[in-house]
Amino acid sequence: MMLVVSALTAVVIYFAERSAAATVARELERRFQTGLDAFHNVQEIRQAILVERCRALVRKSRIHAALEDDALDLLYPNAEDELRDVMADGQDQPPEQARYALQALFYRFLDRHGTVIKPPNMKRVGVLQPGEEARLSLPVVPEQLNLGYVARQLGAEAGPISEVIAMPIVSSETGEVIAAIALGFKPVDFGRGDLEIKSGLWVDDMLWLASLPDPAREAVGRAVAQSLSSGAPEHQFEISIGDTPCLLFYKLLNLGSLFPPAYEVCLYPLTELAARQGKLRWQIGGAGLLLLLGGLIASNFVSIQLSLPVEKLEHDSAENLEQRKRVEAVLDSTSEELQRSIRFSADASHQLKTPVTLLRAGLEELLVNEKLEPASREEISALVHQTLQLTSIIEDLLLLSRMDAGRLQIEFGSVDLRQLVEALLDDLGALPNVLHLTIETDFPAALLVAGENRYTSLILQNLLENARKYNQPGGRIRVEAHEDSGGWVSLTVGNTGRPIPPAAQEHIFERFHRGVVGENVPGHGLGLNLARELAHLHHGELRLVRSDETWTEFEVKFISAKPQPATEPA
Amino acid sequence: MLLALPVVVLGQASIEGRVPLPKGSSVSVVNKRYEIVSKGGIVSTNPPLAVVYLEGTFPKPSPAPVAQMVQKDLAFVPMLLPVQVGTKVEFPNQDDTYHNIFSYSAPKRFDLGRYRADEHPVPFQIFDVPGLETLRCDIHEHMRGLILVLDTPYFVLSGTDGVFRLTGLPPGRYTLKAWINSKTTLERPVELRDGSVTQVDFQ
Repeated sequence: MMLVVSALTAVVIYFAERSAAATVARELERRFQTGLDAFHNVQEIRQAILVERCRALVRKSRIHAALEDDALDLLYPNAEDELRDVMADGQDQPPEQARYALQALFYRFLDRHGTVIKPPNMKRVGVLQPGEEARLSLPVVPEQLNLGYVARQLGAEAGPISEVIAMPIVSSETGEVIAAIALGFKPVDFGRGDLEIKSGLWVDDMLWLASLPDPAREAVGRAVAQSLSSGAPEHQFEISIGDTPCLLFYKLLNLGSLFPPAYEVCLYPLTELAARQGKLRWQIGGAGLLLLLGGLIASNFVSIQLSLPVEKLEHDSAENLEQRKRVEAVLDSTSEELQRSIRFSADASHQLKTPVTLLRAGLEELLVNEKLEPASREEISALVHQTLQLTSIIEDLLLLSRMDAGRLQIEFGSVDLRQLVEALLDDLGALPNVLHLTIETDFPAALLVAGENRYTSLILQNLLENARKYNQPGGRIRVEAHEDSGGWVSLTVGNTGRPIPPAAQEHIFERFHRGVVGENVPGHGLGLNLARELAHLHHGELRLVRSDETWTEFEVKFISAKPQPATEPA
Repeated sequence: MLLALPVVVLGQASIEGRVPLPKGSSVSVVNKRYEIVSKGGIVSTNPPLAVVYLEGTFPKPSPAPVAQMVQKDLAFVPMLLPVQVGTKVEFPNQDDTYHNIFSYSAPKRFDLGRYRADEHPVPFQIFDVPGLETLRCDIHEHMRGLILVLDTPYFVLSGTDGVFRLTGLPPGRYTLKAWINSKTTLERPVELRDGSVTQVDFQ
């Protein structure tokens, strides 16, 4: 019996150790894989946004002209506006954007040979040292999206490595790749859950793993280099760092890229595993000793005692499974949330704007046909006009959805309301004045409010356009503004349009609400809603003051940004 | 225009001939539509056309010639306009929509801004430097037009079959050139005598 018990103890210890080691290794691998999957998800989202951005970029005549008509000096100045949203501007980013590094640190264009086109002003496109910039050049211009990692110079503010996405820019005429754009980001780091995994990157035959002391990093670097020389794109093996046994994984991040290969490297010290095994050994050994002493007397207890560690193992394993499921659930929901919150802009613009643009291009193409009957030509022109309307609706909806998602922030500055209104009235004056309207204004000389020019202008534009559209022939528009003592600037836009029925008045600020007078009037019922939401973002208010037989008047209030008397113009 | 002269004026020479043109895309020929295509950095017309011109030293024109590059049905008419250096080119808009014609080409960079059909005076540019000018519209991305600025008053646009006839030329020794696309210009030496018709085939 003693022999049996001893043999059993040995067998149980052996299998327990193997099972524990295998469970931990599987779990590590799974977490590593889940982390990489999440990383790839973020990459996909980023790429969807960028692809759409580049598509829009290359459709612009001026970018085409700069690239195709040898006017490269105008390339960056023209691109600057287009890429404003993509570039990190040094200000605080919304937390989710910062976490997933959605804003670029730098960008450069590559010419049709894959060489970096030097920007005239590096400050506007992200500063790079000459050596760093040279690493963005590729042997040929990429025909598809390429992912790369570029080591930055020591002490760079952006961190030791930048992740680079290079996108081809394709001519809309011939389908040729005429250039490429490379955007640099801070690499995404998701952490590795509650395990003590250290992760880093292997780029340019060097290991970047900041949390390891130098000798350990050198040892890991040697091990990775040796394993890579065998050519495996991913691998998992055990190495010893000093006296600590560790598990090492690595996996290629940019398969098929023109950039040098980069690997994600993860290191997991097996001390936790060793501790777990030691504990297990002690428990089973202790149980074996007890069994040995009592074996002859109460052999029936042996089986009970033996089952204890096995149950413990089962319990451990069930706990592991539970933990893993929790981690997966969290990662899944994070990923979904991320998809939802970020993808809408790329999706909406791609799904909605692209077909409309194609439609318009197709219609415009039809218009070129010389044989077209005048009636058909008129009809097609009307359809082209409709697509323009549709684009403006989509843009309004996009703006609204950005606001809904809390992603639109006003960059407050001082806006000259008087100048804005005068410019908008100029624009109105350029339109055919079929209604023969008279426009009156009453303004103080200086009228500065807190806001961001383009959004403040949108509010006023909506009000003025409504005042024109819904007016009666021979009617009047009156724009008045004044500053009250409470620090508010109030601007009213009144017109002689037909009254808004009292029942409808409370609904006019709702989305897709259109007045009963509006059947023959262009519009889509988003303008007032958009204007009010924007006014709220300005910490102001937009309301209907009155609407009766003779006069309809809206009032918008802004916070005054009146300069100090000393700087006020005379 | 020189092409419009119906007969050869005595004391002036003429050149007749043919320029070998590459094949264009058949679709556009069926539609009788001309377009500017840019492939591999080479800009040409489709169907291909040549501008044949006499190179030499000629007096500057006085007063400055005026030519028109019209925007009609969201396209440039003509697609390819050869002009002499110093020509004032007007850009009238005959569509009922805004156009914003600009060019980043080396001979002259300009941007006419947005303008409508009734814009007065008609937006114009004077081209003082010889070379090829690619015209685009900031609003209608597909619009493309070419102005070929030449340092000679003697030029003519060939037919789509490459056949050309250049008349009213002064006698003398010159180089006859045929512009086919932004990268290809053929040339032949010619000697013109009073009242003669010289045959030149750019084979």
